[in-house]
Amino acid sequence: PPRACDDYWSEFRHCKSLWNRFHHYYTHGTSPSCQQWKEDYRNCREWEKRKSTEAKEALQRSERNRVAEQTKFTPVWKLRQYPPRDWNMPLNQDKPQDS
Amino acid sequence: MDHTKQEGEYGYELFPHRNMGKNKQGSIAEGQFTFNHKCQIMLQFAMETSYMDLNLTSLSSQHSKLFKDRHFSCEDCDGTVSGGFDASSSQIVLCQNNIRQQSHMNRVVTHELVHAFDHCRADVDWFNNLRHLACSEIRAANLSGDCSFSTEAARFNFGLKQHHQDCVRGRAIRSILAVRKIGQEEAEKIVNEVFNTCFNDHAPFGRIPHSKKDANFAYRDYENRDRYYSNL
Repeated sequence: PPRACDDYWSEFRHCKSLWNRFHHYYTHGTSPSCQQWKEDYRNCREWEKRKSTEAKEALQRSERNRVAEQTKFTPVWKLRQYPPRDWNMPLNQDKPQDS
Repeated sequence: MDHTKQEGEYGYELFPHRNMGKNKQGSIAEGQFTFNHKCQIMLQFAMETSYMDLNLTSLSSQHSKLFKDRHFSCEDCDGTVSGGFDASSSQIVLCQNNIRQQSHMNRVVTHELVHAFDHCRADVDWFNNLRHLACSEIRAANLSGDCSFSTEAARFNFGLKQHHQDCVRGRAIRSILAVRKIGQEEAEKIVNEVFNTCFNDHAPFGRIPHSKKDANFAYRDYENRDRYYSNL
């Protein structure tokens, strides 16, 4: 499975916690929906124990959905292929005086 | 780069000790008792909190490893600004005269690391593209804890329902106005244009880290990313 099954359970518990519900309301103005994590946990266990293809597909669908949710907005900038060339170039003030 | 143009237009006047060609470190004795020393110590603590792990690790994986001596600079700044990211020298500036508490330092470092992260992973045109600048400011305000309930409460901004978003919008606009000579309305328009995309871009965290637990879960997800993507 994409994550360890215990990870799904801990995400579910974290989602339902008072702190998280508070922060979610503060950020989005709504209550968080946590049922999907519980569902994913169940499917994860099914997949591991019984190698159920239904559970596997359901879980994969759910995770792909999560990824799609994160990437559904048109990006403002273009991603780089390589990091900036001058990232590690020495600063002018650090150049040795005795060149 | 033309220094006179830079100072007037890109907010460099807020950081009077940048790029002036002189080494401003001073003697060791002076360093012990001034803000610079305190700044260096707080920075060290900030980089050791587990909250920072994901920030620093993800930057390394972008092949942009951070070196404290090269990429951070403690300096005196004007006004009330707390820090900045100087793209032309790839340095994070920390305002030693304006950062007094460790928690503040942690937030400023996280905020500037988001800028550094954006600089490393995307072609951000910091100087000419206001939408890029706005996007990075939205992300930095969103993900650094600048707009957390407790931080806002300390500023006497007691909002609740969706207040986080109002705060992020407001701070992004303020940040832009501080470094560019444009009007309030234009800044608002630009921030509103890119808000949806940039508010929902949580890289590298995958979520908005409100607490240490969020940060730890985000780090866990990051460490397991290979397994995750290969099993979708």
